[in-house]
Amino acid sequence: MIERLLALAVLAASGVYLANGLPLPLGSPARPGPGFYPMSVGAFGAVVALAWVVSVFRRTPATAGGLTVPGAGRGRVGKTAGLLVAYCLLLGWTGYPIAAFGFTGLLLRGLGAGWAAALVIGLATSLGSYYVFAVLLGVPLPRGVF
Amino acid sequence: MGPLEGLVYGFSVALTPTNLFACFIGVLVGTIVGILPGIGPVGAMALLLPSTFALQPATALIMLAGIYYGAMYGGSTTSILVNVPGEAGSVVTAIDGYQMTKKGRAGAALAVAAVGSFVAGSLGVVGIVLASSWLADQALRFGPPEYFAMAVAGLLLLSRLSGGSVMHAFVMVAIGLALGTVGMDSISAVRRFTFGSTQLSQGVELVPVIMGLYGVAEVMLIAEAGIKKAHIATVRLRELLPTRTEWKQSGWPIARGSAVGFLTGLIPGPTTVLATFISYTLERKISRTPERFGQGAIEGVAGPEAANNGATAGAMVPLLSLGIPFSPATAILLGALIITGIQPGPLLISQRPEVFWGVVASMYVGNFILLILNLPLVGLFVSVLRMPQHVLATLVLLLCLLGAYSLNNSQLDLWVLVVFGIFGYGLRKLAIDPSPLIVALVLGPLMEKTLRQALFMERGNVLALAGRPLTATLLLLGAVVLFTPPLVRLLRRQRAAGTPLSTTAP
Repeated sequence: MIERLLALAVLAASGVYLANGLPLPLGSPARPGPGFYPMSVGAFGAVVALAWVVSVFRRTPATAGGLTVPGAGRGRVGKTAGLLVAYCLLLGWTGYPIAAFGFTGLLLRGLGAGWAAALVIGLATSLGSYYVFAVLLGVPLPRGVF
Repeated sequence: MGPLEGLVYGFSVALTPTNLFACFIGVLVGTIVGILPGIGPVGAMALLLPSTFALQPATALIMLAGIYYGAMYGGSTTSILVNVPGEAGSVVTAIDGYQMTKKGRAGAALAVAAVGSFVAGSLGVVGIVLASSWLADQALRFGPPEYFAMAVAGLLLLSRLSGGSVMHAFVMVAIGLALGTVGMDSISAVRRFTFGSTQLSQGVELVPVIMGLYGVAEVMLIAEAGIKKAHIATVRLRELLPTRTEWKQSGWPIARGSAVGFLTGLIPGPTTVLATFISYTLERKISRTPERFGQGAIEGVAGPEAANNGATAGAMVPLLSLGIPFSPATAILLGALIITGIQPGPLLISQRPEVFWGVVASMYVGNFILLILNLPLVGLFVSVLRMPQHVLATLVLLLCLLGAYSLNNSQLDLWVLVVFGIFGYGLRKLAIDPSPLIVALVLGPLMEKTLRQALFMERGNVLALAGRPLTATLLLLGAVVLFTPPLVRLLRRQRAAGTPLSTTAP
């Protein structure tokens, strides 16, 4: 199922890529324009993506194999992916220390640490990394709206 | 500058305090990431790449290369002691290495692995010096058509050798090439596929893509598997000395592994893994007692361990002499060169000798540091494994997020990291190797530039491109590698289908 979705997504992406490449000038064979190479790549991508889709849909679900994630594992993977997305969404608003604290604390808890350990390690990591990156290395980490 | 003179000059560069320290940090980080299952050398190199921006080019490359070959040493330690290969190049070592641990010969296995790696690394340096100098001289005669053909042949070889189906590899190549076209066209300055974003005009950053596909995806796999506690064998210092018989049994496998590794490293693909499998198969085949393999044969440790280090040295040849990377790790090294303002290619040896010779000599120095570090401190390194996996996984992810953000102080890179992390997890679950994507992303801009230059040179005559001897040879080589296995399969199938008919015929 997942392979089918991935193959379809790649085929759709190749379509979007080709559509966006169409307005670019192709030039001539002797003087290729900025659209010449992308269109060649897009055509190649569309062909291999189509071949993938066809091969995935020709296989029966039994022979397709693919993604098997046990229930508990699926939950942990989902939490990890969700926390990554949440971190990206909230970083600009909350600022780095709070986003990093929330991310590390909740991820540790989600992966099996106790609440106390998750909070202590989360706090130490977020403050420690802020000190190293923002103060010592001078990386302008977001401070948030507060 | 001749090879010997160059090497002496290289040692004068590599042995400066700054470069020596960079080499030490590189091999130390490499050893640790090799030990820890999770991030791997490619992820660690990508993670440390931003921290090298302020360094001199030679120093940056010395540190990153140290991570690459240092990881091979670290990976063998956990393969032997815990039966958990820290990185793919050490999977084969676990077969006999762990059996030796169970028989109380862990120390001997570790010592032979370290010495084998050192010998292969040192011989590899000699190989790099000879092969790179020769190849760079030849490459000065290459024009855009030859470079384009080399990149195409490299991608075809990589697609065939990266494991899994060629169709999946082609999909990865197409994605990598397409990502390489995002941003401003270097010839006409036209913006392509930027969707109005000024940051995308500079193209898709390599580092978040690599960190996502390798670092984030690996942590998600660890999260899925749940937290496991490893049983770690302890090794005392006095147990590290192999017996005379063990030394004798290891000598030739180390020599053969070094040669096999170096030669395998020259071709595109997961060469460290390939080299170890080839070396292991070779040793078992020529052994008078092949039944010992799998039961703790020291040759099964010595050969593959020399081979994976030899392969890391071999992989440096196309990068340093042609400026073409054939693996994700060397793609990062190329990225580091470009970021520090160096044009990689055959002129690197003559125009930036301190970078070329400094890096080559540092590999010898680094292998020596690794030999000293790895044997006495093996207990300390293995204790890293006692760190709870959930803490390690969380730290790796936070470092990936920080590393991606600090590239351009941009949230776009964070999104690239997360998207490719989730995509990479899906690929790993489907057993699809992402390395063709990385190599295609790096080679894409070079392919476009050389193709357009070549077409301009030949006034649009595509057939004239294929008529050049080297271009034709390279393209033919790629086609042979690509089409030979399916043709052989087809012939075998036809022969198998034909056999019953011939036997039943009157």
